[in-house]
Amino acid sequence: MFNTEKFIEKTISSLQKDIMGKALIAFSGGVDSTVCAALVNKAIGNRLIAVHVNTGYMRKNESEQVTQMMEDLSFNYRLVDASKEYYLALKGVEDPEKKRKIIGEKFIRIFEKVARAEKVEYLIQGTIAPDWIESGGGLRDTIKSHHNVGGLPKDMKLKLVEPLHELYKDEVRKVARSLKLKVSERQPFPGPGLAIRIIGEATPERTELVREACDIVEKEIERASKQGLMELPWQYFAVLIPIKTVGVHGDKRAYGNTIAIRAVQSVDAMTCHYSTIPHNILDAISTKITNTLKDKVNRIVYDVTNKPPGTVEWE
Amino acid sequence: MVRIYVIDNGGQWTHREWRTLRDLDVETNIVPNTTLFKELQKEKIQGLVLSGGAPRIGLNSNLGNCAEYLDKADIPLLGICAGHQFMARHFGGIVKPSKIPEFGQVELMLCHDDEPLFKGVLKKSIVWESHNDEVTVLPKDFVKIAESENCKIQAIRHKKKQFYGLQFHPEVEHTQFGEQIFKNFIQLCEK
Repeated sequence: MFNTEKFIEKTISSLQKDIMGKALIAFSGGVDSTVCAALVNKAIGNRLIAVHVNTGYMRKNESEQVTQMMEDLSFNYRLVDASKEYYLALKGVEDPEKKRKIIGEKFIRIFEKVARAEKVEYLIQGTIAPDWIESGGGLRDTIKSHHNVGGLPKDMKLKLVEPLHELYKDEVRKVARSLKLKVSERQPFPGPGLAIRIIGEATPERTELVREACDIVEKEIERASKQGLMELPWQYFAVLIPIKTVGVHGDKRAYGNTIAIRAVQSVDAMTCHYSTIPHNILDAISTKITNTLKDKVNRIVYDVTNKPPGTVEWE
Repeated sequence: MVRIYVIDNGGQWTHREWRTLRDLDVETNIVPNTTLFKELQKEKIQGLVLSGGAPRIGLNSNLGNCAEYLDKADIPLLGICAGHQFMARHFGGIVKPSKIPEFGQVELMLCHDDEPLFKGVLKKSIVWESHNDEVTVLPKDFVKIAESENCKIQAIRHKKKQFYGLQFHPEVEHTQFGEQIFKNFIQLCEK
């Protein structure tokens, strides 16, 4: 069985040996990067700089919450707002693999810039097993290029350290609980963020739509699960499908986009079953999204695909 | 502690096989399928899992040195997905593209009551699948031990050796008796 205490002890002592100077960590504020940061912080203290990048594809108020978290954990941190840069880089890009690779490369370029300014040699990433498994390489087929693996540029100069490389999410959560980190139960959020929850071009306008829709899905499902109406899924969100369909809004023809509701149950993300959301909750989500996003969205669909054949995210 | 290694044929779930074995307190390692059998013998392994593979390799490719393991091993072997297909092909069976490929949840039906690999597994249970190809003709030294509606050869066993092949994936969380099947395999390796 996976031994949490032994893992923590072993990891901290090998990090102390391996990291000679300063290190920076790609800090999204999710379970993986927070556990990673906490372990490295225990090993080398303030020689670790946590860098949080606002890509413009974060969820509602996410970067503010992440900043608060880095404050609470007393990390030595930097904030980089790169939303404009990201929007520009993804202009006209529709292919999901291209999106992922552009985002991955941009992350590294930003980290390299911080590294040069701060004289940092090591890049810490919270990569976990499914990230590199799905990214392929060698015998394995590429299912999707995770931004922190398949998206890494070949000429990267920073030395990569990935303390959670062999772990799955449920094991990372165990470590998080043992380190008493508040994020231990937070749902996964992909590095490329909302950009891969928009089918087709991830424009700023479309991002606003999916951001709002994701927020509604999250709040409604969290409320329902708190009231005991459903089990809290492993992951739950909205996907924007920019396919227009006809609707009717107050005796007037409407012609707007489609939003898909996605929620899955899983233990390790390697296989998933779609979550059963009670109909009245689906109803509430549907009404709220269409009433909030009015002329932009007039159709809601519910994704009932398992993994395999689907994956959790649509891209 | 029993020592069982996982031969990596490039499957998405190779690492899951390793994890399941590790969680059951097996001494385990993932090794490339190019490893020579004598190197494995040096490590005194008591069992081998032949993992699933990259797309379509079960159909007509060589899986590294898997043929050598199948020829020389006198320890229990468990072939999963492409590993199972290769095992069947190696002993004279036929593998073809599935008429109806299976992905995700499928109902498995056991063919007999007293298969050691399926001890404690219900006659009908849920397994997870992910395959485009399947074994269509059983090799002569093998018996079929499980089936599903759309794939008649879901599991096979060698008549004399402790070789098993599974089309479904016992290593993933959603397979109902996956861990039980691994426990049974571990028991076979301990003997």
